Amino acid sequence: MSTVKDIIGSPLLLALVIGGLAYILAFSVVYLLKARKRALEMGITREEINNIIKSSLIFSIVPSLSIVIGMVALAASLGTIWAWWRLSVIGSLSYETQIAGTLASALRYASTADMMAGASGREFGVVMILMSVGMLSGFLILIPFGKKLMGSVDKTRGGSGWSNVLSGCFMLTLLAVYVPILLIGDTYQALVMITGLIVALAMGALAKKPGLGWVNNFVMAGSMVVGMVSSLLWTAIF
Amino acid sequence: MSEKRNMDSFQAWCHRWGRVGTVIALAYMIALPFVVLGYYDSIPSLGEVFNVATLGILAIYIPVGFSEALGYTPIMGCSAYLGFITGNIMNLKLPCAVNALKLAGKEANTPEGDVVAAIGVAASSIMTIVILAVAALLAAWISPVFELPAVKTMSSYLLPALFGSMTLGLFASTSAGNKVVKGGVKGVIPVIVLVSLVSLAARIFKMGSALLGMVGFLILVMLPVAIITSRILWKKGVIKVVDKA
Repeated sequence: MSTVKDIIGSPLLLALVIGGLAYILAFSVVYLLKARKRALEMGITREEINNIIKSSLIFSIVPSLSIVIGMVALAASLGTIWAWWRLSVIGSLSYETQIAGTLASALRYASTADMMAGASGREFGVVMILMSVGMLSGFLILIPFGKKLMGSVDKTRGGSGWSNVLSGCFMLTLLAVYVPILLIGDTYQALVMITGLIVALAMGALAKKPGLGWVNNFVMAGSMVVGMVSSLLWTAIF
Repeated sequence: MSEKRNMDSFQAWCHRWGRVGTVIALAYMIALPFVVLGYYDSIPSLGEVFNVATLGILAIYIPVGFSEALGYTPIMGCSAYLGFITGNIMNLKLPCAVNALKLAGKEANTPEGDVVAAIGVAASSIMTIVILAVAALLAAWISPVFELPAVKTMSSYLLPALFGSMTLGLFASTSAGNKVVKGGVKGVIPVIVLVSLVSLAARIFKMGSALLGMVGFLILVMLPVAIITSRILWKKGVIKVVDKA
């Protein structure tokens, strides 16, 4: 009978993960090229496009490293290949950890680590299947209704202006939910958020100075990094 | 009179091929464990997969997926197809889309906005895939660095730091373009009040940091509140859409 170790170190799993990631990478490249071509047709300059790409690449480094931390944590219990796959696609660290933990206790193991040491291939199969299907509910909305959802806020449709109000509504709801939670729910979170905001404001002001327009490309990445680093200071002081 | 117009060629491409690409990725993600488990003769029974313990977790995460799709798709536009496959929407893809719109000075939910947001999201997706691949390859060497307490602390504050850095961008993207929505914030006042009360209660009971895990639920519940309030206030003329001066 197969064990967890047979599966998590399996060359077949590795090959399928690499194949899946190659497909997603190719899909991203095609998306980028299509969007870039259309942007040029719309009169957006090469320089503007390159600035967006550069800024997105720089900005993505820190959140990606944060995902790497999750991958390292998850790899300890699920093996590197499966953790790599789950966090490269739609998985989330909290979901994957909860699934593994709940199953470990349901199967009467003391911890996830114990389960991984002693579970059968079938038991690990439950983990793999649940992780794969549990996060897919969003697609049940996106695939059939995505076009309609985007159309409902399309501002080029003219009309009475409700689409403009509705479009702003989603952004504002996001802020109205997150900001009170961050500012009221926890002191450290509030201080980190305020630090990030102040640095973003300062960098935005700096970018308006002659010759410093390039700072704009780093506002989000820079203020986010300073905000995160400030957490060390705030947790040490309070 | 019909308000329909010819869809922009990039938007049409996304709705056709973006959707096809998403369905293929989805099928692959579902098939992968079954192929591996089938090879090792380890496919569990339906009862082993879906039972009281696992349904409890699914009951939490299924609504989160719905709320992400309902809340983020209208903001991300056509880049949502790619964003949902690669995940990490709130902490990575959505900020990239907002940043791209801000840098290009384009408005969300317009053909130009969709194009620049897609450039940002695609570039970010490529970067993340590459970084994770390198990290997986070097896992044995780099793990100690990522297990340092300071690195773990900083990482746990990614979301608040991110919100600090992108709040301005989010506000800017609600007021860009030829039209300006005046008084739009009034539509979300009930949401601010309700979430503030919940946050206060969470803080009193020392559950503040755990509240972030419930954001998906809150968005799902609060979106209709915000939309209905905004609709009523717009009908009454409290929220107005005017030409930009």
